[in-house]
Amino acid sequence: MWALFGVIDPVARNREPFGRRGEDQAADKDAIRRIAAGDPDALGELYDRHARPVYSLAIRIVDDATEAEDVVQEVFAQAWRQAGRFDAARGAVGAWLLNITRSRAIDRLRARRAKPQATPTLTEKPVDQLIDPSETQERLIVTAETAARVRAALGRLPLLQRLAIELAFYEGLTHQEIAERLEEPLGTVKTRIRLGLMKLREALAETGA
Amino acid sequence: MTDSRHAELTDLAGLYLVGALTPGERQEFEAHLETCAVCQGEIGSMRPAVDALLLAVPSRVPPIDLRRRVLRDVADLPSAADSEPQKPRPTGLAWIPLAASLLAALALGLYAWQLRSRVQNLETRLALAMEQAASAQREILGLRQAALEARSTLAVLAAPDLARIELAGQPAAPQARARAFWSRSRGLVLTASNLPPPPPGRVYQLWVVTADRPISAGLLEPNASGDVTATIQTPADLPTPVAMAVTLEPAGGVPLPTGERYLLGTPATNL
Repeated sequence: MWALFGVIDPVARNREPFGRRGEDQAADKDAIRRIAAGDPDALGELYDRHARPVYSLAIRIVDDATEAEDVVQEVFAQAWRQAGRFDAARGAVGAWLLNITRSRAIDRLRARRAKPQATPTLTEKPVDQLIDPSETQERLIVTAETAARVRAALGRLPLLQRLAIELAFYEGLTHQEIAERLEEPLGTVKTRIRLGLMKLREALAETGA
Repeated sequence: MTDSRHAELTDLAGLYLVGALTPGERQEFEAHLETCAVCQGEIGSMRPAVDALLLAVPSRVPPIDLRRRVLRDVADLPSAADSEPQKPRPTGLAWIPLAASLLAALALGLYAWQLRSRVQNLETRLALAMEQAASAQREILGLRQAALEARSTLAVLAAPDLARIELAGQPAAPQARARAFWSRSRGLVLTASNLPPPPPGRVYQLWVVTADRPISAGLLEPNASGDVTATIQTPADLPTPVAMAVTLEPAGGVPLPTGERYLLGTPATNL
């Protein structure tokens, strides 16, 4: 029962990683200020609130646990160095961290693609193994609501719009590469991504995300 | 900046946001963005949808010792400053033994009382947590399924050995269209539109036609507007398809096609 509380409590706090809840955002921004002043405890706090979505995104992109851990280390090291440059007016700390995560992870993916033999480790895992069976269901709740909303909205997009977006965003392909892959003209890919994002935006606005 | 130049560049906003521009295009667009309020507005309005994509991934738990490694990393970096202040050590109470034992008895009583109310409190929280976990479990099973499906669809489409097959509507449904993506290593994704609602007791069945024979790839259930997307695992030793077809068959499907063809297509290139 003690173990269970250890699991449930952070869940309740972290339900909205980008914080529709003002106090989370305020706490994040306070942590960033303290990090800029050199307080390692503040980095620990930031880690506790964001490590999970950061790690989830990293592993989704690089598809390798060890590399995803490296990405997490890089992201928080970068946050430590650049906290002083974080512009609170520009948005949530969570979004800042995840954008750093995406760009670090995609860099690795591209470096791996540039090497001729590299793709197999990335791609040949059966789909069933991509979800960690040791993961407890309670822990899955954390970003479940947000993820569910966006996933549902993505799922309602026409397949080719969704694919164009996902191939760019999570696989790091350029629009030329996407066009080649789907055997479609460049203009079509452009339009699909644009329409898809517009629909996604509407869907999120409707559900109050 | 001329109007036509702007029209050309504003079109890139979506690509810029999802990171699909080449480095050169990206620089060009960012330079334009600095001076163009229209593009800034466009980016601002689409940004939340793109940020949401950052969270729309299956949730994974970082290994427990990663926190320690992250904090150790920054300890090695400069700027980490002041050490923790030392807590003052409590001084002993042993100089009045009688008072001490009285205090201890009192403290014990208080402790027992606190403990009981703490246990009650924890029991309430446990009940609440169990309830939350049960409802979350239902939600998660659905989510996990959706995540698996999305993941396998994308895995097919990102496959290095991807082939595309266009299926055209047949006389039974000239408006119907479909497109299939097939990867020997990852499977098959089919997306069809404008299929008429099947008559009662009949279903659409998808066939992968090999040189030998047609092999059933499962039943299709279009939605009310006649659209359907299916992701199908195919065996790695599947003979190379020469065609794909959708036919109308008795409910439950059949081992070999018997009904009328609704969609038919052959690979554009040799597989």
